Amino acid sequence: MIGTILGVYEDEELLISALQKLQDEKIEISEVLTPYPVHEVFKIMKRKTRLPLATFLFCVLGVILTYLFLYWASVLSYPLIFGGKPLNSIPSFILICFVMMIFFGVFLSVIAFFVRSKLYPGKKAKIHYPRITDNAFVIMIDKKPEMSSNDIKQLNSILKDHGAVEVLEK
Amino acid sequence: MYNTAIRGPLIKGDKTIHQITEEICQPIDRRPGYWWYFVFLLCLGALIYGGWAVYITVHEGIGTWGLNNSVTWGWCIINFVWWIGIGHAGTAFSIFLLVLEQKWRTSINRAAELMTVVAVICAVHFPILHIGRLWDGFFILPYPNTRGPLWLNFNSPLFWDVLAICTYFMASSLFWYVGMIPDLATIRDRTTSKIKRAIYGFLCFGWIGSSRDWFRYEKLSWIIGGLTAALVVSVHSIVAMDFATSVLPGWHTTIFPPYFVVGAILSGFAMVLTLMIIIRKVYKLNDYITDSHLNAICKILVFISLIMGTAYSTELFMAWYSNNEYEMFTFFHNRVTGEYNTAFWIMLISNAILPQLFWFKKIRKKLAIVFIISLCINIGMWFERYVIVITSLTKDYFPSNWADYRPTTVEVGLFTGTFGFFVLCILLFFKYLPMISLYEVKGVSKYKSN
Repeated sequence: MIGTILGVYEDEELLISALQKLQDEKIEISEVLTPYPVHEVFKIMKRKTRLPLATFLFCVLGVILTYLFLYWASVLSYPLIFGGKPLNSIPSFILICFVMMIFFGVFLSVIAFFVRSKLYPGKKAKIHYPRITDNAFVIMIDKKPEMSSNDIKQLNSILKDHGAVEVLEK
Repeated sequence: MYNTAIRGPLIKGDKTIHQITEEICQPIDRRPGYWWYFVFLLCLGALIYGGWAVYITVHEGIGTWGLNNSVTWGWCIINFVWWIGIGHAGTAFSIFLLVLEQKWRTSINRAAELMTVVAVICAVHFPILHIGRLWDGFFILPYPNTRGPLWLNFNSPLFWDVLAICTYFMASSLFWYVGMIPDLATIRDRTTSKIKRAIYGFLCFGWIGSSRDWFRYEKLSWIIGGLTAALVVSVHSIVAMDFATSVLPGWHTTIFPPYFVVGAILSGFAMVLTLMIIIRKVYKLNDYITDSHLNAICKILVFISLIMGTAYSTELFMAWYSNNEYEMFTFFHNRVTGEYNTAFWIMLISNAILPQLFWFKKIRKKLAIVFIISLCINIGMWFERYVIVITSLTKDYFPSNWADYRPTTVEVGLFTGTFGFFVLCILLFFKYLPMISLYEVKGVSKYKSN
């Protein structure tokens, strides 16, 4: 990669038509930046995530760890009978396990999201274009060494023909 | 604008995306008006009163409260349950409406989520102070200790309550904060002040809005939403079980968990309505918080209020139908009639009867009346908790135990303090953070009305 070409749009529909054209031309899009989530972009960019699966596993982990802890504390560590209930008091434990399942699921999913997206407090954002978080939709295409100047010109014209208000090379 | 057949445009005025950013961020840019400083000072006054009450409680003990051997739970528990109920608003709005794909939530959810977080903080003050010996508060946490080791009673709803509220606070705070990250990045990018850019830049975690991040972000919102929606039901059910697992007449009923959950949602929605009417008026956000939004909340209130009315009637019916003299006494001689009947009737009229006026479109369109009814519901819900806690405790099975209860200035101070804290947090939030979710509103403004 020897640089990046940015196509800037101010309308979601124009952005999508440009993305579809680029996809038809088999041009590799490195990233699309938008001020709000656009579902058509996710489809074109074929975005996938295993976050829901991770959450499920975190929830299972939460239930198992909580139950093991409750069993150890109530049956092994200090077996004291409260109100005639059995030491391994499953109905009460279900409730605690349920709450802890949510605790583990939510907390660890948020951590997983930040780790996977490489976001952390104080991270210096790489601002590709100033209005990205306001009203600009940006298509980023990596310039590769094998691209000729003609290819780049053609790319620029595709972006402009589909309504780009600005095409930048960085 | 996003235009639905039922509700019409969600945002008025055919605004551009940039215009939305500018209009919603306006309160952050400009100096607040005199009213802001006036309310700020009032809140500080309330906080000082509350601080004094906390000092007296910690220094001298809960003997300074109006409690006695019979009424061992007073204002503190009433206020705890009331605040927790309000704390359900954010989740009810943001999460239930997110899961149900209700686009109209976008203008309201941010303020409602803030209400949740602050209301839960207000609520937890009360049980913590009720411990009396605050320095021994950590005894409630399950950890290996040198006292045996003596573990907690895991069968107790009081322990479940600690766990559920901590989890609820964690989940709702994360939902609120994560939901704000893209908007914090917007403020970072538009501010001209270096200090502000550094602060908002730190808080927004380096967000740039790439499609990869947005995709994961949306999934995460659904995950937190889906899990926390289940938690809403369990938190208030557990709060209800604090009462229902006792043997006192008026408390020992199986209707309590659903009754408490619905009550919480009623008070939460009413508080959202109160707040939204004020925000709309003060910050001139009529294009974002439209009549249609308020209309929708009113319709939901009618429905929830009907459930509340059914719950109140069921309680009375079961007391009569069971032919249990203690239940009959509590409900008919200590609530419907008797010393505390005023509180009972305020509760009934405010929560079950007044919201029925929202059946009429004319009433729903008159914001002054809507505002008054929403305030009445808030007051009515406080009285509901008052009726439940006080009437059952003052007169239990044993007439020699019967005692009266009057709150002291210390208890009033604690409540006033939390109220000051609540309003203060809201004021500061509106000054420094976007009160309406920018990216979500932009998302629903993508379709042209024509």
